[in-house]
Amino acid sequence: MTDVTLTINGEERSASVPPETSLLRLLRDEFFLTGSKLGCDVGDCGACTVIVDGLPVNACLMLAGQVDGRDVVTIEGLATLEDLHPIQKAFEEFASLQCGFCGPGVIISAKGLLDRNPDPTKEEIKDALSGNLCRCTGYTKMIEAVQDAARILRGEKEAA
Amino acid sequence: MKKRGKGMGCMWYPIGFTVMANPSAATVKVNEDGTATLITGTVETGQGSLTVLGQIAAEELGISTDDVHVVSADTDATPMDTGAIASRTTYVTGNAIQLAAEKAKNILFDVAAPMLGVRPDQLEAKDRRIQVKGFPQSCLPIGEVAAHAQNGAGTPALGSASYNPPTVAMDPETGQGKPFSTYVYATQIAEVEVDEETGEVEVLRIAAAHDCGTAINPMLVEGQIQGGISMGVGMAIQEEMLFDDEGRQINPNLTNYIMPTSLDMPDLEVDIVENFDPTGPFGAKGVGEPTAVATSAAICNAIYDAVGARIYNLPATAEKVLAAIKSKDHSDRQKYLPAG
Ligand code: FES
Ligand code: FES
Repeated sequence: MTDVTLTINGEERSASVPPETSLLRLLRDEFFLTGSKLGCDVGDCGACTVIVDGLPVNACLMLAGQVDGRDVVTIEGLATLEDLHPIQKAFEEFASLQCGFCGPGVIISAKGLLDRNPDPTKEEIKDALSGNLCRCTGYTKMIEAVQDAARILRGEKEAA
Repeated sequence: MKKRGKGMGCMWYPIGFTVMANPSAATVKVNEDGTATLITGTVETGQGSLTVLGQIAAEELGISTDDVHVVSADTDATPMDTGAIASRTTYVTGNAIQLAAEKAKNILFDVAAPMLGVRPDQLEAKDRRIQVKGFPQSCLPIGEVAAHAQNGAGTPALGSASYNPPTVAMDPETGQGKPFSTYVYATQIAEVEVDEETGEVEVLRIAAAHDCGTAINPMLVEGQIQGGISMGVGMAIQEEMLFDDEGRQINPNLTNYIMPTSLDMPDLEVDIVENFDPTGPFGAKGVGEPTAVATSAAICNAIYDAVGARIYNLPATAEKVLAAIKSKDHSDRQKYLPAG
């Protein structure tokens, strides 16, 4: 068994798991944080995207043991009891998602981008979302929502 | 050299099949607080159908969409639905819901008429009120009428209805008939860039004009069109299931079954061409599947415009386009078939 202690959404959590356990399985099966989705389990779809030490990663490609002592943000860490995160709100406002399966991964990738680059171009947004496959939407409304959320986060626009 | 070209694809698509039974049913109940409950068997898969169906019920009852509580797809309690298939939900299920809401509304009119001292046919439902046509100041809140229907008149304000596009048998001799209730139309125009040396195609821009009858929720219609185009782009240049001799798929993963990412998507311009279909709920038809139909035709025509190569076998992968460019005869008649 591998012992891991990590910070998830600002809270310290520990678990003892078989060494082959992925970060995704750790989140979903040990901590019941099922917002990160298991799409392909081999790094192709991006549905499992989480932020580790500030960078978006595919949680299915990382071992639980590798996140020991590190900081993980999942989709569950974005909204507060009172409010959705501005990116989530923009996705709602723009009807950016349809079935929603890709949503947590897309929103986390967008957050990863905006945390590093508060004023991205459309091309930079497309690039940041290119690891997140979406079967439903054609991505257009997601890109518009990320642009809008960026404006809100920069304080150039009131939140809806 | 990279060459640019433009191409157009046009299509029609049938809505509401009539060759066999195709029913939907619904119950609409107006509550004493002025809200309504809509019970439908159809399932939401993200396209926004429950929003649109709630809007239909709200419009008929003169209340806000937020006032409609939708209960859907519970096999214990909701009516069976033919399915969220065949681009039929807005049209068929929507018609059933409009009819059910109309029945509930007529009960409210019967109850409100004596309260307002008019005939039921002089009433309308608007702005959360039952009001006299032409005299909106003479009105009652819809919740109050619903409460009176329940507790005073003893005729609860609810309606159930079903809709089945009239089944029409095909003529057994000629095979002709009317297989669908109505049709939608669309044109898409694609602009592509083709690399003559590699055969690689990049789709730069697609403009799509779609008729869906009344667009009950234009934003959702736009979402359907954008999503359909992404599937169309995949169909046109990327997506292909490959099988070995034993019939096993040899590309069963997203690593080798390639679908469009955000980087593959062209700029999209969507134009909703509204028109009113008298057989649909508030004039609506449908929009789902039709959105992916014209895309590959438009893209292949654009490839032809760019490099004079006709692709008859999708997807138009770089290999196929390059082979078509290299083959001497680019005429329309010569069909390119994959080797082996
Ligand atoms: S589940 Fe991790 S990339 Fe698909
Ligand atoms: S919304 Fe369905 S996969 Fe993206």
